[in-house]
Amino acid sequence: MFDLLKNSTGVLGMNARNLDYIRPNNLLEAKKLADNKLLSKKILKKNDLPVPQLIAKIKSRDDLEKFDWQALPETFALKPNRGFGGEGILIVYGKKKPARPSATMAFRADNGFALGDEGGNHQDTWIKADGSLITVADLKSHIQNILDGSFSLSNTPDIAFFEERLQLLKLFKPYSFKGIPDIRVVVFNKVPVMAMLRLPTKESGGKANLQQGAIGVGIDMASGITTTAIQGKNKFVEQILNTRLTLSGIKIPYWKDILTLAVKSQEISNLGFLGADIAIDKERGPVILELNARPGLSIQLANRAGLRERMERVAGLKIKTIEKGVRVGMDLFGGEIQEELEEISGRKVIGTVEKVKLVGKEGKEIEVEAKVDTGAYSSSIDTDLAIELGFSSVLNYFSSLDVPRDFSRENVKIIEADLRKKYIGTHPDLADIVIVYSSTGSTIRPKVNLTFVLESVAITTQVNIIERAELSKKMIVGKKNLNKFLIDVSKNEGKNSRG
Amino acid sequence: MESANPTINFFLNEGVPFETVILILMLPIIATFIAFLRQVVGIKAFGIYTPLLITFAFLATNGLKYGIVIFLAVILSGMLLRFILKPLRLLYLPRVAIMLSLVALIVLLMLTLGGNLRRTGLASVSIFPILIMITLVEKFVAVQIEKGNKTAIILALETLLISIVGFYLASWEALIRIIVAEPWLVLLTLPINFFLGKWTGLRLSEYLRFKEILKKQ
Repeated sequence: MFDLLKNSTGVLGMNARNLDYIRPNNLLEAKKLADNKLLSKKILKKNDLPVPQLIAKIKSRDDLEKFDWQALPETFALKPNRGFGGEGILIVYGKKKPARPSATMAFRADNGFALGDEGGNHQDTWIKADGSLITVADLKSHIQNILDGSFSLSNTPDIAFFEERLQLLKLFKPYSFKGIPDIRVVVFNKVPVMAMLRLPTKESGGKANLQQGAIGVGIDMASGITTTAIQGKNKFVEQILNTRLTLSGIKIPYWKDILTLAVKSQEISNLGFLGADIAIDKERGPVILELNARPGLSIQLANRAGLRERMERVAGLKIKTIEKGVRVGMDLFGGEIQEELEEISGRKVIGTVEKVKLVGKEGKEIEVEAKVDTGAYSSSIDTDLAIELGFSSVLNYFSSLDVPRDFSRENVKIIEADLRKKYIGTHPDLADIVIVYSSTGSTIRPKVNLTFVLESVAITTQVNIIERAELSKKMIVGKKNLNKFLIDVSKNEGKNSRG
Repeated sequence: MESANPTINFFLNEGVPFETVILILMLPIIATFIAFLRQVVGIKAFGIYTPLLITFAFLATNGLKYGIVIFLAVILSGMLLRFILKPLRLLYLPRVAIMLSLVALIVLLMLTLGGNLRRTGLASVSIFPILIMITLVEKFVAVQIEKGNKTAIILALETLLISIVGFYLASWEALIRIIVAEPWLVLLTLPINFFLGKWTGLRLSEYLRFKEILKKQ
């Protein structure tokens, strides 16, 4: 019990968050800035930080009546300035092509619009995420609701604004439902202390909000690789529901840039304890979505780590520059969990010698012991093994070719290109020709396509064929085929001494 | 009261009813109890004001069971009406006004039904506790909009729970006797609240929520 009490200080609770962190660090002015999306957008932009482009804002009924709908782009997001929990946000994915003239006429007549109005500014129609259509009249009524404050709790009148719609990164596509994921970074004393990737799900209705059932995935601060995950407020998950997509091991692109942006936004907003929400646009890269003066506590569950402990570690530090802050965060809070690397990175740990099953030309399977060698780029197999696998024809063909024996290092590139041009495609099994340097000198080798299975992971790749008779292992697995594994040099020691 | 403190006797002699004196002195105790539940245990309920008022509404109804029946009726009709009114997309205040009116009518219907079934206790509940409970609807709707139905129901049940415990606390004979004998004890709630206001430890509910992390450390 005493232990439990002592350790508990590592986790940040609601009481401590409010009293020890928000109150002394986030002054009223700064909180007001964070709660006002348009204002924070303006100030961040003024300081040259990337934010979604503002297209237009509508402050009153008058603005709404005068608004030029033609000026709207094909895709945009419509948001209330002081909305909460993603309420009232409308996302438009495209503009509908004008209908055929006759249909347009009928439509106009039905709706009582003037016939013969060539501009057709009231006929514009856009398409929402679910494929349904939205007209100017719909947009107008939605904006009216925003202005009236339907999406701000205490019915305070609000402002509506249009901003550019961010484009989903290809990497995140399979992981997110409808909406766009973002990365929450908690920054304290100029140090990014914890982060999570928030994925919109079916349960959350496409919103990246944990309260509503989105998924939060913890991120290793040093590498930007995702670790453990949580869905909603307290459900531990490893995969996305009804899919086999593993949530760990996703490498967040632009990781260091994201941390730098988060720290910069803290400096600008003057929020001592800040949750910055950063999304990644397909073309623009990281973009700051929102600043949060009262970051939620679930990020601790997503990371399986306590925030309080981390913040206490950086509390007294004098961080002079943004770069320093980012580096301290990465150094202090990354890679602590190496012993669980396999679990968190989703990669398998293998030794330096592993059993590999090779699949030959006629589906013949041969199991061999292979050397795992990160010093080699590609994998290679021994000539005898290649013959066993059914590659004798290509080997005979290759030995019949006229290849240079002596050549200088300078000419390698030219010779390689020349050989490729001449011979690739001349034999069905000859996938490539490469010149490989080794301790015994340079050799020209043929490459074939081959599938092999290592630790139940099937890998299809091009392998070199070489005379390895004098060596004990008939195969080398090179760096190129090892990206799904982590190599532990001590793993096979026991096995070897017994054998 | 033979063991009453002179202060209490003073209030009584000035014409303040005994019931009223006790209820007013109970207020700081129940308020402190609610603050304790929030900061240390982690029961949120609808803030401090609503459970406090509901507790007193319970104390003022003829027995706890009718109070609970009215409470549940108000919450249930509030939920039902939200679903009916949602597609109409009304502004906040008119929407709450409609809800309050309809809930009031439903409660009236219920009281009539109580009278009809010879449940005279239910029919003769005084108007103030009923009004207090009807105002619960606004709180409920506000949370529903902000945090969703599930959270609103959880908070409503927490409020009900706190109010029931508060009811028993305030009608606990031993506690009443102590307060009558030593009314200054009520002032102890001030330092207790000062302590609660500075308490930065984890709430009991958070020990539960973060147990995976705590176990690991």
